Amino acid sequence: MTTLRRRTLAGLAAAALAIPRMARAETVEITVHYAQPHIYKDAKEAIAAAFARVEPGIRISWLTSPDYNDGLQLVLRQAAAGTGVDLSFQALNRLRVLTERGLAQDLAPLLAREGDPAALGYTPNILDLGRIGTTQAGLAFSASNSIAYLNGALLDRAGVSRDALPTSWDGVLDIAARLSRLPDAPDPLFFDWAITEWHWSALLLGQGGRWMNPQETRFLLDSPEGNAAMALFERIVRDGRMPNLTSAAAQQAFGAGKLGMRFASTANLRNMIRTTAQNFPLITMPMPVIDPQKGCLPVGGSAGVLMARDAAKREAAWKFLRFATGPEGTALMARNTGYVPVNQIAIDDPQYLGEFYRENPLYLAATRQLPITIEWYAFPGSNGVRISQAIVDNLARIVEGRAPAAQVVQDTQREVTRLLPRAS
Amino acid sequence: MSDAALPRAATSRAPVGEALAGLMLTLPAGIAYLVLLLLPTLAAVTLAFTDYELGMPALNWIGLDNFREMLSDRGFAIALRNTVIYVGTVTPLSIGLGLGAALLIEAGTRGRAFFRAVFFLPVVSLTVAMAAAWQYLLHPTIGPLNALLRQVGVTDPPFWLSSSDTVLLSLAAIGVWESLGYNMVLFLAGLSAIPRELYAAAEVDGARSAFDRFRLVTWPLLGPTTLFVVTITLIRSVRVFDTVAVLTQGGPNKASEVLLYTMYREGFTYLRLGYSAAITLVFLAIVLALVWLQTKAMDRKIHYG
Repeated sequence: MTTLRRRTLAGLAAAALAIPRMARAETVEITVHYAQPHIYKDAKEAIAAAFARVEPGIRISWLTSPDYNDGLQLVLRQAAAGTGVDLSFQALNRLRVLTERGLAQDLAPLLAREGDPAALGYTPNILDLGRIGTTQAGLAFSASNSIAYLNGALLDRAGVSRDALPTSWDGVLDIAARLSRLPDAPDPLFFDWAITEWHWSALLLGQGGRWMNPQETRFLLDSPEGNAAMALFERIVRDGRMPNLTSAAAQQAFGAGKLGMRFASTANLRNMIRTTAQNFPLITMPMPVIDPQKGCLPVGGSAGVLMARDAAKREAAWKFLRFATGPEGTALMARNTGYVPVNQIAIDDPQYLGEFYRENPLYLAATRQLPITIEWYAFPGSNGVRISQAIVDNLARIVEGRAPAAQVVQDTQREVTRLLPRAS
Repeated sequence: MSDAALPRAATSRAPVGEALAGLMLTLPAGIAYLVLLLLPTLAAVTLAFTDYELGMPALNWIGLDNFREMLSDRGFAIALRNTVIYVGTVTPLSIGLGLGAALLIEAGTRGRAFFRAVFFLPVVSLTVAMAAAWQYLLHPTIGPLNALLRQVGVTDPPFWLSSSDTVLLSLAAIGVWESLGYNMVLFLAGLSAIPRELYAAAEVDGARSAFDRFRLVTWPLLGPTTLFVVTITLIRSVRVFDTVAVLTQGGPNKASEVLLYTMYREGFTYLRLGYSAAITLVFLAIVLALVWLQTKAMDRKIHYG
């Protein structure tokens, strides 16, 4: 929908000056696209400023879209029209579509040129985030997972000690019960479920369950783990007295101090810290553990996808992508959002983020969970996004108390199976 | 070229030149119509019979399959039903209230300009920005509306935009608020065109009560205005999209899914432009049918004069 094209005057002037005579190869302008400027803008601009010091000959012209859906749409539309962005940061679960439609260029040859990826901070786990089948479709730029945001003032009123924060859903529901007994009781908790199935899958993966079997021929919500996850969600809604709010409304209620605990992505932690700073002490903690052995969490976030056709632009875009996902770029990203760094050097070497995490312990909840995060699953076939919506639509029935968990599992199973590609 | 031919050519040249000039003058508008309206519409019609997906290199001709799918698509059926409910609520309410406001302002002596401005304000404000204000007003826990309801003793005020029972109602209320002012202004214009003497004459003829005068003079003479207002309100409310896209995204569980939002979601979220174009055609057919029905059915009963 809305797309903003911003070009710095300086960039234009410099480009205009550069054209006539002065060494032509010096200035290359690349178009870089990203989504969710309300979350990423500060980070991208900080990275671009640092990049300009290293590569003064590369100008960046930004293109943004409000969310990941619009972002995917924008590059598909531009590809259809023959004009294109050179580098686009896309949601990790959209790499599949871009690869299937032949728009994401394989980065493996470019990476091979640079030597051992692990020495650059790209460990196999990190590379996996951007790999589709055998194609290195993108390089992960940011990673998120679900965390718990707690209202410290309300916890104090309910007599919950900060040293004894719950590590299980039983513990969380116990606090919820105590919160709801307070005079002038706030809403105890909210579990973000409505935008995509991504956040809800924390409950499924937490049981050790998966959405599909490894061959991707069978939807697995009717497995014991799937049923358990749905039953747990029903318990969270019922026993946690979860109000029926939209995601945005829940975020506002939490910011206003009217919600005790909120389970959501770590992505907008920085915004949340700013919003709540005046109102109450904010606490974060890792998600409650469901199965300590098999339990995982889904990873969210974005990856840079190279799309430039022109050789010079391709080279310049690759340089920027390398910088943005390198230790320095990653560190700037982590400081300016709530995301987890996805470059091993930035994680291990304290010169990059050591001090930052010491001073901002709220960011640690997500980082601690990094070892148990696994891929952001994208459903196969052309109905992939529609399947996400079918799952979310059915979750609404639990939230509104319209149908019991077992019924919802059954209906979702039937609907999704119909939308999956037929096994040949 | 012979000399004899010259005078004849001269006489016929003037009309040809004039026609040519006329053509030249209409050319910009003609090109704009062709490029901006006709061609895109034809493209949409063509796409509706294909399986085109955004970003896919090729498309196939699939005939009526998109329309066949629509018949069995639960999402489309719900969207159609919700749109009908929405239009059925917003149209009569915004017309009735708009007329009421117009009558009150017309009859009032003080603050007419003030009230006209107050009711017209929603029309000139940006829906998307106003939606953010509505989101706050209707917020279940921190919103002023529910705070007020709790004050007067309602223990469990509704969740408005996030409950499937009230979401369509809430959106309809916003829709009424949006079009009330527009309808009011149209009615005010209609009212000012009614000659004062007719009221005096009606009173002499025995129409004593205000209601009688309304029934015998105002309502019949407002006929042309009402016809226009009904048509325009129907079309405006069938087109509901912004509030849904900003406030509810069709949720919860499709309870606020409306025609245009389904079209948008199919085309731009699921990337199925072919199917989306087919929905557009259905939408176009509905709008055209509405306009046609309105003019046909009501034209006969209207007094122009």
